[in-house]
Amino acid sequence: MATRGFPISYIDRSFPKETETQMPPTDRIPEAPILAFDKVSMTYQTTASGNRQALVDVTFAAPSSRKIAVVGRSGSGKSTLLHLAAGIDIPTTGRVSIDGRDLGKMGERERTLLRRDRIGLIFQFFHLLPHLSVRENVVVPAFISGDPSKEADIRAVELLDQVGLADRLPDPVQKLSGGEMQRVAICRALLRRPRLLLADEPTGNLDDANGQMVMDLLFSLVATEQTTLLFVTHSQEFAALADEVWQLHSGVLEK
Amino acid sequence: MITTVGSHYRAGRSLFVLTVLGVALGVASVISIQIINRNAVAAFEGSMEAVSGDADFSVLGRSPSISEEIYPRLLAHPAVAAAWPLYRVTAALAGFEKLYVDVIGLDFFAPVEVPWRNGSADLTAALERPGWAAFTPALAADMGWSIGDSVRVFAGSKEVWLHVGALVDFQQISPLASPKMAVMDISQAQHLLGRSGRVQQFDVVLRGGADVEEARKEMQRQLGPGIQVVSPEQRSRQAEDLLSAFRLNLTALSLISLFVGMFLVYSSTQASLVRRRVEFGLLRSLGATRNQVFGLIAAEVAILGTLGVAVGIPLGYWGAKAHIDMVSAALTNLYLLDEISSLQLPVLLFVVAALVGLGGALVGALIPALDVSRRDTRALMTAFTLHEKIGSLANRLVIAGVVVLLGSAAWYLIAGREWQHAGFLLGFNLLITIPLITPWVIRNVTARFRVRGFGPGFSLRNLGARLQISSFAVSALGIAVSMLVGITILVGSFRDTLEVWITNTVQADVYLSPASWRGRGEEAFLDSALVTSLGQQPGIQALDRLRGFIAYTAGDHRITLAGIDMGLPGGQARFKLLQGDAKKVHTLVNEQSGVLVGETLARKQDLWAGDEVSIFTEKGLHSFPIAGVYYDYNAQGGAVFMDLTTMEAYWGKSDVNSVAIYLDPGLDPDTVIDRLRADLPLETLEMRSNHRLRQEAMEIFDQTFAITRLLQLIGLLIAVCGIALMLLVLGREQLPELALYRSIGASSRQIFGLFVGKGLGMGVMGLIIGAIGGIVLAMVLIFVINRAYFGWTIQVHWPLSELTEQALTILGAAVIASIYPAHKASRTSAAELRREDL
Repeated sequence: MATRGFPISYIDRSFPKETETQMPPTDRIPEAPILAFDKVSMTYQTTASGNRQALVDVTFAAPSSRKIAVVGRSGSGKSTLLHLAAGIDIPTTGRVSIDGRDLGKMGERERTLLRRDRIGLIFQFFHLLPHLSVRENVVVPAFISGDPSKEADIRAVELLDQVGLADRLPDPVQKLSGGEMQRVAICRALLRRPRLLLADEPTGNLDDANGQMVMDLLFSLVATEQTTLLFVTHSQEFAALADEVWQLHSGVLEK
Repeated sequence: MITTVGSHYRAGRSLFVLTVLGVALGVASVISIQIINRNAVAAFEGSMEAVSGDADFSVLGRSPSISEEIYPRLLAHPAVAAAWPLYRVTAALAGFEKLYVDVIGLDFFAPVEVPWRNGSADLTAALERPGWAAFTPALAADMGWSIGDSVRVFAGSKEVWLHVGALVDFQQISPLASPKMAVMDISQAQHLLGRSGRVQQFDVVLRGGADVEEARKEMQRQLGPGIQVVSPEQRSRQAEDLLSAFRLNLTALSLISLFVGMFLVYSSTQASLVRRRVEFGLLRSLGATRNQVFGLIAAEVAILGTLGVAVGIPLGYWGAKAHIDMVSAALTNLYLLDEISSLQLPVLLFVVAALVGLGGALVGALIPALDVSRRDTRALMTAFTLHEKIGSLANRLVIAGVVVLLGSAAWYLIAGREWQHAGFLLGFNLLITIPLITPWVIRNVTARFRVRGFGPGFSLRNLGARLQISSFAVSALGIAVSMLVGITILVGSFRDTLEVWITNTVQADVYLSPASWRGRGEEAFLDSALVTSLGQQPGIQALDRLRGFIAYTAGDHRITLAGIDMGLPGGQARFKLLQGDAKKVHTLVNEQSGVLVGETLARKQDLWAGDEVSIFTEKGLHSFPIAGVYYDYNAQGGAVFMDLTTMEAYWGKSDVNSVAIYLDPGLDPDTVIDRLRADLPLETLEMRSNHRLRQEAMEIFDQTFAITRLLQLIGLLIAVCGIALMLLVLGREQLPELALYRSIGASSRQIFGLFVGKGLGMGVMGLIIGAIGGIVLAMVLIFVINRAYFGWTIQVHWPLSELTEQALTILGAAVIASIYPAHKASRTSAAELRREDL
């Protein structure tokens, strides 16, 4: 078992191996946006007679290794934006691309594989699986990708070590506090070294102290992992820690 | 409320269908058996009413027939207005296999209302024309007979031509009367088809104002214990008593289907509540009380239960109708009762169906309804909240299960053995134990699986985390499998035991009996001259004659009494002795009028070697010393064997009913049968080789258990529906979790595999729990229930190939049952996490 505070530089960077990725290779230009929205609008049909426009002509490009906070009131379209970024939904109009690949042109399966290999998700309510231990919860993405290798296990242990949970590996997740649960969820999201990390109110279900700790860890890890972080928050305090803060007002993005 | 159920249907059609199906199958199972049970006795009552409808009581013998000499004594009784004799004989229709007509010899001048078709019949012809008989219109139509036709029948070794002189519609008097009945003049019936001077019954009508019960008792006193004077109600009760074990066993089996069906209702209610927990939370937050929420759920379940009842009744009726021949065959083969020719659906059965369906549905829904109504509002409105409760209860439940099981066993060993129904209580407690131990078993088994991927281990661990749902699915399947395995082992063991017993005891080469003996053929005799000439045929080493009829012991216990040539060299091998020394038995039976008692009777009446058995003879009650007890598989309450000379001494001389033939070594039985048929007038007789007789015995055995297997299948079908239902519930309840997998990158195929894995996991666990329960249940069936009701010794055999086949079928069914829920689950979108979860 790895010890607490294990140097990040020692982490085995071979997981996941680039050659094993199920997505076709893309040309990576360091400055190229990992995530781009081009005139994206999203309309929900709420009733037989009326529609609700959740996003209106949103355009942005999120460069690699940036931390971007999206703030806005409830119903301003934050969750819709995250769904579109994750390829869970397809915009009504406009183009969403990840690493230059247009999600709208992909089938559902392709988007699922892209999400599996390139995107990490963190939820407000953690969504840990109660039947699995702390370690197993972190390894779930590897299970799903069909690569429950020793490397995945080592990577999980190392991530948990970095968030201070190395001594809780076999524990059932129900025994964890809210802050600990979110730390496990962060480890799960980072297990497969995603290029893009999407987090929806990661501190929304935590008290101030735990919220601060989680955000510190999250920022530290994305910096180390060189991952782009797009997170939605109500907290101006946490938003201020980001490289960029975007405002959403009734579906319209203001940078 | 109807609107709520309607929306329930629209929101989850498959859940709705499975719920109604669960109730309907449970109701159908119980109702079909109740219809069959009711009509088994009703068929007997119908025929009795058709023949003796107006009589206040009947006078019957406690030996096969009674002498006509008591007739004047009956008429002389001051309370008697009229009395008339009946002679009943079974005739086999020539050219048809196993088609018998119950011919009733009547005194046409007696004040009996015969329901002639067209109002009357030519009674002069009835008396004068030899073979004049009136048949039922139903039989005549089936056979294509018209008045004036001649019909060839066999009665004993006699071949008789009957003349269709009129039509008599007994179903006018009693709709359930057998259509295979005919009437003819009593003296013609005796002379042509049976024997003169003997009758089976006198029917008596009393003068107006006479006290029927008083007169019956007085007449019983006058006629002595060798004669029974019984009211129609008493005769019905006798038939009911005869069938009680048969009916009780079928009822118990059908109730197990209902029990399994209740699990289905439980899970469907759970499903409905899971889907609508936020709705209930909202109601509670708006001020609805716990009782109001509970009432709402109960009312909704009652409507679904009513729909289940409405579907279950016709389904049950159809099930009964479809299997009427099967049960009818068992009744005639085992109990020599009338076959069921038509079905009656009394109003009471509708009430039973409503009680069973609604009651079962409400009991099934009770736990989830209470659970939701007692839950606090916040919990109802939050995702991922249900299911923890049963996990924390698992330890207490398993302790309760062990206590129930051990307590039942201890109670039985200490005090329960004397109680006839103890076995059912043991069996029920065993089945109750299954749901009690299942959560603990699932939790502990699944916890041992290391998750190494998104495969079977993951499915099982996931199942272990959803105990509230998985426990019920596995319990339901476990109960159904227990029933299946228990009965399969019982039937398999019984079959093997019987096969060995038949091989040991059926040793003659050829068996010969009148075709009409296979019906209720006490009056089917072999002509003695024919038997003598048979014995003189070349190649025949010895004849073993048998005379058999129904008799009664001192306790009015109905037995099969048989007289055979006990002194036949090597004849001891015909009996596999449970108690008694073969040599002593031989001496006692041949020289001292001793008898051999079958195990069934021995156990029921506690009669063993050295005791005496008292039987009503022609000369009154006589006690016969019991020389030994033999293994016996008689269903009618037991059998007693004695030497033919002993029988003649106490029941008078008579022709025999069948003959077993021992051939010279090396002769082929079938060749000898062909030769005998060519040389002797044997058309009226059935001749079967040893091999054929054994085969027929096993066919009858299989036929008897066919209805049992059907009930097993219904139980299993309900349980498999339960797996589908539980997976649908899981799919619905796990929606956020599945969406999570999808958002992490799980493909539809992986989710599909996850669910099929769960279905298979539930199948495997249900199978293992059920197999263990089934083995214990089999022991209860063989050593407790069988002993208490039938008294047979059944050696335990393991029908491994059948059990393996069943196990594979169950697993296959579990996988098939998982496909639809898995398909539905696989279509879960990651977007499902959107509203309340993301």
